[in-house]
Amino acid sequence: MSSDLFYALTGASLFTLGLYALIKHAHILRKILAINVMGSGVFLLLVALAAGGQQAFDPVPHAMVITGIVVAISATALALALMLRLREASGLAVLPDTSPEELSEQLPEAPSDVASKNNGKNA
Amino acid sequence: MLAQSFSWQVTVIILPLVAALLCFMLPKWGRWLGLVMAFAITGSVIVLAYQVMNQGALRYAVGGWGAPLGIDLYVDGLSLLMLMVVALVGLVVSVYSMAYFKAGKAVHFWPLWMLLWTAMNALFLSADIFNLYVTLELLGLAAVALVALAGGVDALGAAMRYLLVSLLGSLCYLLGVALLYHSFGTVDIALLAERVESTPAVWAAMALMTVGLLFKTALFPLHFWLPPAHASAPAPVSALLSALVVKASFYILLRLWLEVFSQDSTAAAQLLGVLGAAAVLWGGVQALRQTRLKMLIAYSTVSQIGYLFLVFPLASLMAWQAGLYLLLSHALAKAAMFLAAGNILCFGGHDRIADLDRVAQRLPLSLTAFALAGVSSMGLPFSGGFIGKWMLLDAALQSGQWWWVAVIIVGGLLAAAYIFNVIGHSFTRAEISHEAKPVPAIMEWSALVLALAAVLMGLFASWPLAVMDIGAPFGGGGS
Amino acid sequence: METLTLLSWAFDVTLGLTLMWLAWRALASEDLFKGIVLFIAFGLLMALAWVRLDAPDIALAEAAIGAGLTGALLLGALAKLEAGAESRSRRSEILPRPADKTKVFSGLLVFLLLALVVMLVYAIVKLPPLASGLSAQVAENITASGVSNPVTATLLNFRAYDTLLEMAVLLLAVLGIRSLAVVQEPRGREPGAVLDMLSHLLVPLLILVSGYLLWVGSYAAGGAFQAGAVLAATGVLLLLTGWLPGAWFVGWPLRFLLIFGLAVFVAVTLVLQLFGASFLEFPPSLAGSLILLIEVAAALSIGVTLTALFLGGRPQPEPPSSGRAEKRNTSGTQPS
Repeated sequence: MSSDLFYALTGASLFTLGLYALIKHAHILRKILAINVMGSGVFLLLVALAAGGQQAFDPVPHAMVITGIVVAISATALALALMLRLREASGLAVLPDTSPEELSEQLPEAPSDVASKNNGKNA
Repeated sequence: MLAQSFSWQVTVIILPLVAALLCFMLPKWGRWLGLVMAFAITGSVIVLAYQVMNQGALRYAVGGWGAPLGIDLYVDGLSLLMLMVVALVGLVVSVYSMAYFKAGKAVHFWPLWMLLWTAMNALFLSADIFNLYVTLELLGLAAVALVALAGGVDALGAAMRYLLVSLLGSLCYLLGVALLYHSFGTVDIALLAERVESTPAVWAAMALMTVGLLFKTALFPLHFWLPPAHASAPAPVSALLSALVVKASFYILLRLWLEVFSQDSTAAAQLLGVLGAAAVLWGGVQALRQTRLKMLIAYSTVSQIGYLFLVFPLASLMAWQAGLYLLLSHALAKAAMFLAAGNILCFGGHDRIADLDRVAQRLPLSLTAFALAGVSSMGLPFSGGFIGKWMLLDAALQSGQWWWVAVIIVGGLLAAAYIFNVIGHSFTRAEISHEAKPVPAIMEWSALVLALAAVLMGLFASWPLAVMDIGAPFGGGGS
Repeated sequence: METLTLLSWAFDVTLGLTLMWLAWRALASEDLFKGIVLFIAFGLLMALAWVRLDAPDIALAEAAIGAGLTGALLLGALAKLEAGAESRSRRSEILPRPADKTKVFSGLLVFLLLALVVMLVYAIVKLPPLASGLSAQVAENITASGVSNPVTATLLNFRAYDTLLEMAVLLLAVLGIRSLAVVQEPRGREPGAVLDMLSHLLVPLLILVSGYLLWVGSYAAGGAFQAGAVLAATGVLLLLTGWLPGAWFVGWPLRFLLIFGLAVFVAVTLVLQLFGASFLEFPPSLAGSLILLIEVAAALSIGVTLTALFLGGRPQPEPPSSGRAEKRNTSGTQPS
C-alpha cells in the first residue's frame, strides 16, 4: 500500500467522521465544523488518488481542490452569518424542531466557563 | 470568425452574471436593471432556442480547449426546455417582484436572484461534472440567501437547515466526482459515458452522487428540509425554489442516469421508483393535513417531485418524456400557485386555509390562477399535467408495471382533495373577517399568466415533445 | 534508502492518524472554543499533508484560507455568539430529560456510516492503478497557456470557467451576509500595544508577501487565491486593531472593490470575444499578461471579499439606532 493510498483512505475516514458529527451534534457551529471536516476529506481523496499514478503529477485535481477550498470558505461564512442571525432572532444556535435530548447536548459547555474564556480573549 | 466563436450559450450565462454585478453596483436602479435584464436574458434564450431547433444539439468548447482538458457547454432538447422554463418563470417572477419587494429588500433580492439565474443557466448548459459542482454550490448558496431574506425566525431556521442539507448534498456529489475522475481521467459527461464500465468505484460514485442530488431534490424521505424552507421564503422566492431550483439537481441526476450510470442499475431504479411512490402518497397526505396555504403548496411539491422518480423504473423513451413533461408543467403550475398564495398573504396578512374569507370574490384573478394551476397538478384534462400523467400511465402499462398506475391515480385524487379544500374555503365567509390590503394588479396577472401557461401546455403538447427529441437526450430515435 | 522510505512512511501514517484524531477531538470537544482551536490545528496539519502530496499550491491555500481565515471567521462568530448570550437562562427551561429513543437511531446511524466506510475503502482499493488523469494534456498545452505553473494554467486558462463561477460564489457569500446583518457598532476598541506595533510591522510585510505570491504564481506555487487570502489576512489584522473603513468607503467604493475581480474577468473575455476569440480563450501571445491582469484584479477582490466576510455584515456609517429601526421595519414582505 503506497502512502498516497493511505492518504486517500484518511480522506474517506474524515468524510465519514464529519458526516457522523454533522448528524449527531445539535449546535450549528459544530455542524459547520463537521461540514468543513467532510470537505477536507473529499479534497484529500481527490488529490491523493491523483498522486497514486505517479508518471507526472496531475494539476487538474489540484486546481479543483483550490476551487473547492474557496467555495468552502464562502459557504462557511454564509452559514456563520445565518447562525448569528438565527441566534439573534430565536435565542438558540440550533435548528428549529431540535428534539430536547439533542438540545441537552448544548448544556455541557457551561455558559460562565465559555463566557469568561471569551472575555479573556478579547481583553 | 465572429460567428464561429460567438455563442448564445455563453450569452445566456454571462447576461445574468453581468446583471447581478450591475444590480449590486447600482442598488437604486437595481429593480429596473433587473427587469430589463430579465427581458434580455429571456430574449437570448429564445434566440438560442431558435438556433438549436434549426441546427440541432450544440457543443461549445469554453476557452477553445475542448474536453477533457477544458470545459464544454452542451445544449440539446432537454437542456433547452429547462432553460426555457427557467426563462419563462424567471421573467414572470421578475415582473411580480417589481411590485412585491419594498426598497429595503429589493436591494438584496435582485443581485441574489440574478446570481441564482446565472447558476441555473450555467447548470443546464454544463457538460462537465466538476463544473456542475460549482454551479450547484452557486445555486444552493443563492437559494439559501433568498430564503433568509424573509427574515423571520421560521425563515432563518429553515434557511439554516437548507444550507446544511445543501452543503451535505454537494459534498456527497463531489466525492462521487472524485471517484469518477480517477477511474476514467475525465469529468466530461460525454467522455465518461464512452469510458464508463462497471467497477466498485462507479457503483460508489453512483450511490454518493445520487444520494447527494436526492438531498437537494428533496425526494422522500430526504424532503424534510423542503416544506419549511419553501413555505417561509418570500412568495417570489418560494415560486423560484419550488418551480426551478429543486428541478436543477433533478436534471443533473437525470443526465447522469441517462448517460453515465445507464448500465444495469435496475434494482437502484426500482428503489428510486418506490421512493417516488412514497413521496407522491406521503406528500399528498401531508398536504391534506396542513392548515397553512404555503405549507400545503410546499407539501404538494414533495408529492409532485415523487412523480418524476416513477420514471426511473420504467426507463422507456415515453417514460422519460412523460417525466420531463410533468417537470415542466409542474414548474409552471407550482410557480403560479406560490405567486397566488403570495397575493392572498399580502391581501389578508395570513395564509390560514380555514380563514380564507371569500378570497374567491375578492381576489378572483389570484384564485383563478390557483385553481388553474391546481387543475394541472391534479392532472385533469386538458392541462400540461394531464398529458404528462397520461404518458406516464401509458408507459407504466406498456412495461407491465401496473402497480405504478395505482400510485398515479391515488396521487391525483389526493391532489384533488387538497386543492378543493383550499378552493372550498375561499368561497365561504370566515368568522374573523380580515382587513384587506390591496394587491397590485401586476402581481395578480403574473400568477394568472403562469397558470395559463401550465394549462396551455396541455393544448400544445406536440411542440415541447418535438423539442425534447433534439439531440436525442433519452436515447431512442432522434438525430 | 530503505530507512528513508520507512521513515517517510512512518511520518505519513502518523500525520494521517493525527489528522483523524484532531478532527475527532475538534468535533467532539465539549468546549466550542477548544473545538475551533483544534480545527485550526487540523487545518495546519492538512497543509502539511498537502506538502507531502506534492501539492504546494493547495498547501498555501489551505494554510491561508482553510486554516487561517476560516479559523478567524469561526472565532469571530463564536465571540459574537457568546457576547449575545442574554437568553442563556431561557435555555434551561426548555430542556426536559432526554428520552431513550435515540439509542435505536444512533445504532442505525453507526451501521450506515460503517457501510459507507466499507464501500469507500473497497472502491478506493479496487480503483484501477493506471489512472493517468490529464497530466499529459496539460503538459502538451502548457506553453500555449501563458504560464508555466500547471495549477495556475488550469485555474486561469484550461478551466478558467470554473474559476469565474467560483468568484461568483465568493461574491454571493458577501451578498448573502450583507443581506443578513448590519455591522452597527463601530469596534472602537483600543488594541494592545503589542498588537498595535505588530500590525505596523506586519501590514506592509503582508502586502509585500501578497504581491510576491501573485507574481510567483505564474511559474511556481502561488496565485490569485493565495495572494488574495494573504491580503485578507492584512484586512483582518487591521480590523482587529480597531481600524474601521471610513464612511466614504463603505458605499460604492467598497461595492466596486467587491465586484472588481469578476468585472475585469468578464470584461477581458468579452473584449477578446469581439476580436474573435471564443469565450475565455486567451491568445497564447497575450495569455501571460492577460492572466496576470485578471489575477491582480481577482486577488484584490478576493482580499476585500474575505475581509468583508470576516466583518460579518453590511457596514453602516449611520448611528446604530436608525440602522436597527430600518431592519425591523423591512422584515415584513408586503408590497409598498
